[in-house]
Amino acid sequence: MTNPSENLLRYRPWKGELNPPIYASLAMARASLRLLLRRKVFWALYALALMIFFFFFYAQYLVVWITMQTTSQTVNFGSVPVKMNELTKFLDRLNLSGTPHTFGNFIWFEGYILMIVLALSGAVLVGNDFHHGSLPFYLSKPIGRRHYVLGKMLGIGGLINLMTTLPALVLFIEAGLLYDWQSYYWDQRMLLLGILAYGALLTVVLSLLLVATAVWVRRTVPLIMIWSGLFVLARSVAGFLVEVQGFHPVLKLIDLWNDLYLIGLWFMGADIDPGKLGPNPQPWQAAIAVTALGVGCLVYLRKRIQAIEIVI
Amino acid sequence: MSVRPTSAAPPLLLLEQVSKWYGPVLSLNQVTLELGAGITGLVGPNGSGKSTLIKLATGLIRPTLGRVSVRGLDASDWRARHAIGYCPDHDAFYEEMSGREFVRTMAKLNGFTAADVTDRAEAVLTRVGMAGRADRKIRGYSKGMRQRIKLAQALLHDPELLILDEPLSGIDPLGRQEMLDLFRSLAEQGKCLLISSHELEELEKLTDRAAILAKGRIASVGTLQQIRALFDDYPMSVRVVLDRPRELARHLLDLDGVLGFDLQDDGLGLTIRARSPERFFAAFAALLLERRIEIRELEPLDDSAHAILGYLLGGSGKT
Repeated sequence: MTNPSENLLRYRPWKGELNPPIYASLAMARASLRLLLRRKVFWALYALALMIFFFFFYAQYLVVWITMQTTSQTVNFGSVPVKMNELTKFLDRLNLSGTPHTFGNFIWFEGYILMIVLALSGAVLVGNDFHHGSLPFYLSKPIGRRHYVLGKMLGIGGLINLMTTLPALVLFIEAGLLYDWQSYYWDQRMLLLGILAYGALLTVVLSLLLVATAVWVRRTVPLIMIWSGLFVLARSVAGFLVEVQGFHPVLKLIDLWNDLYLIGLWFMGADIDPGKLGPNPQPWQAAIAVTALGVGCLVYLRKRIQAIEIVI
Repeated sequence: MSVRPTSAAPPLLLLEQVSKWYGPVLSLNQVTLELGAGITGLVGPNGSGKSTLIKLATGLIRPTLGRVSVRGLDASDWRARHAIGYCPDHDAFYEEMSGREFVRTMAKLNGFTAADVTDRAEAVLTRVGMAGRADRKIRGYSKGMRQRIKLAQALLHDPELLILDEPLSGIDPLGRQEMLDLFRSLAEQGKCLLISSHELEELEKLTDRAAILAKGRIASVGTLQQIRALFDDYPMSVRVVLDRPRELARHLLDLDGVLGFDLQDDGLGLTIRARSPERFFAAFAALLLERRIEIRELEPLDDSAHAILGYLLGGSGKT
């Protein structure tokens, strides 16, 4: 400890203006993101997410490049002639042509990694604050409980967007550069808004869901079980009921990631063709299901926030 | 019960008829307490309601009955926490962060602008003696370093009211002295410090003012001497060292309130048992002057916090 005179020089009574508590939410979001980006256990998952992005990035480029480079309708692999459309056929399912389905598919595949990351991060970001008792540090600061929840949601939202919306936007820019960029960007301006709206939807719904479940169960393993139930078991059950047993497609509404995907495609103006996507509920039905879930999470969080009693 | 006289401004911390139930358990029972500037020790045995009182004061929990206010604002209102710095007993941090990073994050939560965050964080880190060690990860900190970091984050916004829960636990003797000096200097600046501690000896060095909690009630508030004076039923013990103990002993028998005395083995001292300290000391001083008896030492033996707690709680006074 320093001598008193030095203390007096450095530690003076505070007379300045302080920011409103919304800034505390931003600070909390930044701290949460830093925490998640720093954990080595997540790095493998980020690498997988990055791999999916690079796959789409280079495959999109490859499709255009092959089309431009080959003038004939067939190319020879050794002595075996292969038709040009056969060569890129395996990529057709991904619709790597800068259309709404390109971005819808990209976010769909990123979703697998995202769900694992979120299931693990819920306990780190929110559950541990309750479980290990760090909540008093935050809530003894001049912020309300809603600012705390908002800060955590912003942190989770940032992670979601880093893994979905941001790389989707990069793919959008790339698609424009691969085609006629002037006409592409102008013609697909609604698609751009659709991508942003899809990202916003994912941010709001998933961060609400994660904070609500993390406040509820707090620990990593139960959280993973709940998220597995929501995103793996529910999807399998929905697929079995609708695609195998032939029940009404509305039962697929229990598959939350599919609901978000359908709404996302709707935002991006994609053609939701049952022949291509299989039997699915209507996007408006998915929107009602997702809204109901979001409202449920909000009501639960509101009750929990009002009732938070920090008893350690 | 009031520790300080009220002024025109709303009291810094005011608990009015506060009760707190946890399910069927009554943790605090109709507690009324007002705090102003200075250091107040919060003492009591485990389960007496100290932690509940602290959480109520910091707005972390709400009372079941009654009201807790900080400068007139309800303690659960986030704006009230501009006036409060809280150093919890618990030290659950984000262990991956460095101490400096943690304090900076807390400064941002306090609402400091980006330009002020660094200055403020460095100022408090220097103040608690952690400026040179704050870049290490918290995971590697000793208990004492954790205490200092907790204290640093509580001091960030220069709060009027500092609530410190076991701030000395785990700190080495030298560090303890530094902390006590720091608390004293904060009190001299007009801050109010409410310190909950089991370290009664250290607490006594810091302040003689205490709020004693027992079974969810404020058993007593005031200086230790004031509290001690209330125990008419318990004879007070005073040790006196002087050259003529036998002469003093003869005259003591005539003094009102003296119950008895023991001569020390070395023949140079007396241990006197008396009732009603105020009346005893007045009469004792008059006696010494009248008989021209010089004393070398006078030491009350049972107005320590331990002894008072023992009387209050009917036990050893251990907390």
